[in-house]
Amino acid sequence: MKRHPVLLVAVSVVATLASVYATGCGASRSARSLAAEKVYVAPGELDKYYAFLSGGQSGSVFVVGVPSGRLIREIPVFEPRAAYGYAMSDSDPRRQELVATGGVWGDTHHPVLSETDGMPDGKYLWINDLANGRLARIRLDYFEADRILKLPNMQGAHGIAVVSPNTKYIVVNGEFELPTDGLVTNPAPYTSLVSFVDPDAMEVKFQVRVNGNIDIADTSKDGRYSFSTVYNLEQGNTMGAMIQYDRDAVAAIDIPAAEKAVAAGRGEVRNGVPILDPEQNPGVLTLIAVPKNPHGINVTPDGRYAIAAGKLSPTVTIIDAHTLKIVAEPEVGLGPLHTTFDDRGNAFTSLFLDSQVVKWNIDKAVKGSPDYIVDRINVHYNIGHLQAVGGDHLHPAGDYLIALNKLSKDMYMPVGPDLPENQEIIDISGEKMKMLASFPTPPEPHDATFMAVSVLKPLVHQTYTPADNAVQAGKERVVRTGPHAVTVDMTLIRSAYTPDSFQVREGDQVTLKITNIETIRDMIHGLAVPDHNLNIALAPGYTKTVTFDAGQPGVYWFYCTNFCSALHLEMRGRMVVQPKDGAVILTDWHAAENVKGQVVPGVPSTGDSK
Amino acid sequence: MYVAAAAFAAAALVLPLWGFSMSAPQYPDETLHLRVQRSGIVGDVQEIETLQHYVGVRFPTDMPELKWATRAIAASAVLLLLGAFVGRGAGAHVYRVGCAVAFVMFLVASAAVVQARLYQVGHERDPHSPLRGMHDFTPPLIGPAKVGNFTVWSFPHAGAVLLLAAAALTIAGSRRRAA
Repeated sequence: MKRHPVLLVAVSVVATLASVYATGCGASRSARSLAAEKVYVAPGELDKYYAFLSGGQSGSVFVVGVPSGRLIREIPVFEPRAAYGYAMSDSDPRRQELVATGGVWGDTHHPVLSETDGMPDGKYLWINDLANGRLARIRLDYFEADRILKLPNMQGAHGIAVVSPNTKYIVVNGEFELPTDGLVTNPAPYTSLVSFVDPDAMEVKFQVRVNGNIDIADTSKDGRYSFSTVYNLEQGNTMGAMIQYDRDAVAAIDIPAAEKAVAAGRGEVRNGVPILDPEQNPGVLTLIAVPKNPHGINVTPDGRYAIAAGKLSPTVTIIDAHTLKIVAEPEVGLGPLHTTFDDRGNAFTSLFLDSQVVKWNIDKAVKGSPDYIVDRINVHYNIGHLQAVGGDHLHPAGDYLIALNKLSKDMYMPVGPDLPENQEIIDISGEKMKMLASFPTPPEPHDATFMAVSVLKPLVHQTYTPADNAVQAGKERVVRTGPHAVTVDMTLIRSAYTPDSFQVREGDQVTLKITNIETIRDMIHGLAVPDHNLNIALAPGYTKTVTFDAGQPGVYWFYCTNFCSALHLEMRGRMVVQPKDGAVILTDWHAAENVKGQVVPGVPSTGDSK
Repeated sequence: MYVAAAAFAAAALVLPLWGFSMSAPQYPDETLHLRVQRSGIVGDVQEIETLQHYVGVRFPTDMPELKWATRAIAASAVLLLLGAFVGRGAGAHVYRVGCAVAFVMFLVASAAVVQARLYQVGHERDPHSPLRGMHDFTPPLIGPAKVGNFTVWSFPHAGAVLLLAAAALTIAGSRRRAA
């Protein structure tokens, strides 16, 4: 070997490169395996957390499992969804609410959970509709929307927050300004409104005027203040005008003071809601000057600080949540938007322009210590909101953080010009942040909030208790209730409808009340009537009443749309529409009279004459 | 001892006599249960009837043996109670042995009737049932049977167990006093 130094050198170089390559690959393989293990949830296992993501213009809430990032289901809110039988027919109460309050679509941004003692209690989730100025409530025992409220006097419901610690109000920021005196187009000064909504009655109790566009909301942990970022104090109407000032504000509303003023009758009542003018009610509103078109506002879990993100200023402003004084304004990076927290005194701020999450230590930043920045991690791409598990509640978990990114670019295979949204799951349990996984969703989640599966799972029902008006087996019937009206009371259970056929006349209005009398979970059935724009989806125990007009004379085979059983394809029935002057056989049919012997599912009723 | 046996028999009047449990892969943490009581079959009846429909299995519509069993158990309870008070004589001994023999014969006959019913349920199926390829089956008196995708366990319930205990006491009681 000594006689061939070139060979020796060559072999050493190759050996070194080979070992570097091997360990490098091996290291990246093990980093991949570690990350994969952290997010892998095997079939039959459950995730650790429910993540509730706003659906954006999907008008819904996405429920995602963490750490796997799997979409578990979508909860429809502002948009009808045939697959869930949600808000489909004109007689559906949710559809009626939607149509009466601005339309059958919505732009949802911010999900917030009901709290007891500062922690989510699993009762409700509220979500806003920016476009139509609405607030919706979802009950978490059945994961369904139960109330939709149109907020009076305001336009553009954007940031919302729960007044801690026991959900006294839901605070809703009206983002768009309307003429002060409520007239349509009077060029008098504009103003925006912050609404305080009673969470149980879903009614606005009072509103507070703020001059400027009100953006994101949070509340102090003791229920004293609501904090809202306000941009465009310039009150400009064009983009150029909106960014003139170096400082806009955080609006802190003293809730007890506001309540006192309302009780004393000092609000101007419009559409049944008292509106407080801060100029007439000193002490209700304090404006804290922060740079510059600030966006996010987040209160630390210990309640000490409210942190406003500068958006057009590379700083976050740390405000003492009790004295309302600014204590520090550290630089964090370009385009700060939102902040969340772990359980060890750290804050995580999203940087839209830097496309990063920056981790910084709150105490060090407040003290002015130069090493307050702990870590940075790149996200893909251009992050908007971020949320750590429990970062918005009293006891953060400090384990996972979700980055909600605005652009997905090359993260997924091409699916045409409408790219999916990209969310990323980051491990924040250590000193340095680690990227674990990404998951796509349809457009367009904005924000997220979490609940532990161990807390929420026992509270969730998977079947319904039949209501008082449910149709019972053996009590099904078809009755003519008027010259042009027929009522059908129907039950369904694997794999049959009872009655499995009924006759009506052209021009009849049919009221179909149908109950799924299954008792075992996941035995969801459907009923779709061809050519009548009708699909009903029914979970076990659920009763639905729909009213529709019988179409052209003919035979319409209604069938089960939700896969149920081995005889799913055979689960079918007939609606026969006779011509106006035709004879309708089976004008009046009652189950009990017509079934001989034991009621057995699948046996055709003998009242039908063919 | 006879008092205890009588008490057990009396208790068997109100407790379920026989039980079935049914489990299948797609019913995780949802094992279905049935109990045969004096009044008939209770438990997850609606769900099991819905499933049985696919394979043509039917619950017996009329079970006169339940009425007879109720009368027999009640009579046994009374006779056993008397057995505690008839004294120690030879006649008493004959009475007690007679009780034991009659009671055990009643239990054997009951077991035979249950097995017959189990055979009937597995063989007298609706020939027009939806699913093809299901073979007739006879669930064992005590133990598992595979019915389609279900594993069905048949077992004596609290009431039957107490009757067995009562039988044991009756036998023991009749032998001891003979000595």
